[in-house]
Amino acid sequence: MKVLSLYVERDTFIHRLEPITKLLYALISIVITFLFPSITVGAVFVASSLSLAISAKVFKRMILLLNVVLIILLSIVIIQGLFYSKNATPVFKLWGLTFYKEGLLYSLLLIVRVVNMIISFGVLILTTRPSDLVDDLVQKGLSPRFGYVLASVLQIIPQMLSTTSTITDAQRSRGLETEGNLLQRFSAFFALLGPLVLNSLVEARERAMAIEIRGFGVEGKRTFVREIPETKADRWIKVALYVVFTVAVVWRIVLWIM
Amino acid sequence: MDNVSTLSAKISIEHLTYRYPFAKNRSLEDITLSIDAGQSIGIIGRNGAGKSTLCYTLSGLIPRFFHGKIEGSIKIDGEDVPTMSVEKLIRKVGLVLQNPFSQISGAKMTVYEEVAFGLENLGIEKDEMHERIDTVLKQFDLYKKKDKNPFELSGGQLQRLAIASVLALQPEILILDEPTSQLDPCGTTEVFEAISQLKTLGITVIIVEHKFEKLVEYVDKIALLNDGKLVKYDTPEKIFSMPQIEDYGVGQPIYTALCKRMGLKKPNGYYPVSFNETVTLLSGLKMYE
Repeated sequence: MKVLSLYVERDTFIHRLEPITKLLYALISIVITFLFPSITVGAVFVASSLSLAISAKVFKRMILLLNVVLIILLSIVIIQGLFYSKNATPVFKLWGLTFYKEGLLYSLLLIVRVVNMIISFGVLILTTRPSDLVDDLVQKGLSPRFGYVLASVLQIIPQMLSTTSTITDAQRSRGLETEGNLLQRFSAFFALLGPLVLNSLVEARERAMAIEIRGFGVEGKRTFVREIPETKADRWIKVALYVVFTVAVVWRIVLWIM
Repeated sequence: MDNVSTLSAKISIEHLTYRYPFAKNRSLEDITLSIDAGQSIGIIGRNGAGKSTLCYTLSGLIPRFFHGKIEGSIKIDGEDVPTMSVEKLIRKVGLVLQNPFSQISGAKMTVYEEVAFGLENLGIEKDEMHERIDTVLKQFDLYKKKDKNPFELSGGQLQRLAIASVLALQPEILILDEPTSQLDPCGTTEVFEAISQLKTLGITVIIVEHKFEKLVEYVDKIALLNDGKLVKYDTPEKIFSMPQIEDYGVGQPIYTALCKRMGLKKPNGYYPVSFNETVTLLSGLKMYE
């Protein structure tokens, strides 16, 4: 049974940081790149996120993550380069289509923002056990029920997928066409839905009973077998992040007033 | 787990009747029985006889999880189960369900943390939590797997994990609702070996099971249910020696069937139910002399 997680196990400083510190970095860096319509600011954060990824030894995985959005990024360049509303200065022609400087610069701004978003969150996801992130959030006051939903989804989706393949196999063994033209696939999909949904509902009910029996509904103080420690480094990094964020917001307001 | 053996619990059920919401018929009807502390009780009956419903009532899932109309009384240590606080109830009664996969919390990444799930919910202190987890994992031979993802375990291991997770909460009563029905013979043996350890801990055990050959080795008494009613509550040999036992759709241990066919009874007038009893009886015949 696979777990839906991109976590890469390594022993680095970044891995040892508290998950919330990494989450805070991701959120603040994303907000700042969106506060300033500046490629330089974006590039600075991309560089910093990338250096974090390299020091956490997850650079290769990060490239794989970026590959996923490559097509979207390319389409941003093409669409903005060709059709951005403020396009005025032609830069080059390709197959009879004119690309404009304004559009290309704007697409670059969007790209650094998106890339930073992926890398900064990637650092969080690739270097943190999903259950640690959820445990950390619950320990800091997130509702345990919501925490349970977040944590269980990662394991229960792969389980549902394996149920799906079992049902498909069972149906195929009784002659249902699951391959072929679109219509055949579509009807096979509908045949799958009934048992899958019912099965999942029954399992969800059983799981609800099982966790209730183990005190999930008990109100009161909870303890944690894995306490996620906040180290000195975490505290300093958080302070630094808050400072950077405050400065950025103030600076942005000043720019806006002037 | 040491303190478990000194605890005792007694269950008394009087005229218990229950109907699920929107159901036409009653799932339990006028059930009266009592279970002494430290006893092991089997519940048998055909599908729909009310076995699981009785388990849910004893564990408090009825009326907390399943609503519906409940009449009569069900008490543990003289305290009414339906009105007992959830926290207290969890410390008194543990329940293990049929499907090993769906009773894993799904929110924990390792076997160790999975056992911790219930303890965390009850706010057990960290040191005690580690101690309890280590104890149950070693007891159920899962300690070597403690860092594995629960979903990587086999069915038998997973069911043992489910039992261990419930037992870590140190209940005085453990209810097992067909714990081996979805397991292969290997997994079944694993689970029964685990169950046999419970007796040494002094825990009151209630087990619903269709594998009678295994069940009779273990229980002191059996409650036979049919259509929500309690037909008979007695020792295994008396239950399976009933002439009309087949009418209740439950079958019987293969050894009992064999001895019935051969007309062999024990000196006390009942048919043997277990392998050992049958061997003793047959070896006393000295047929080939």
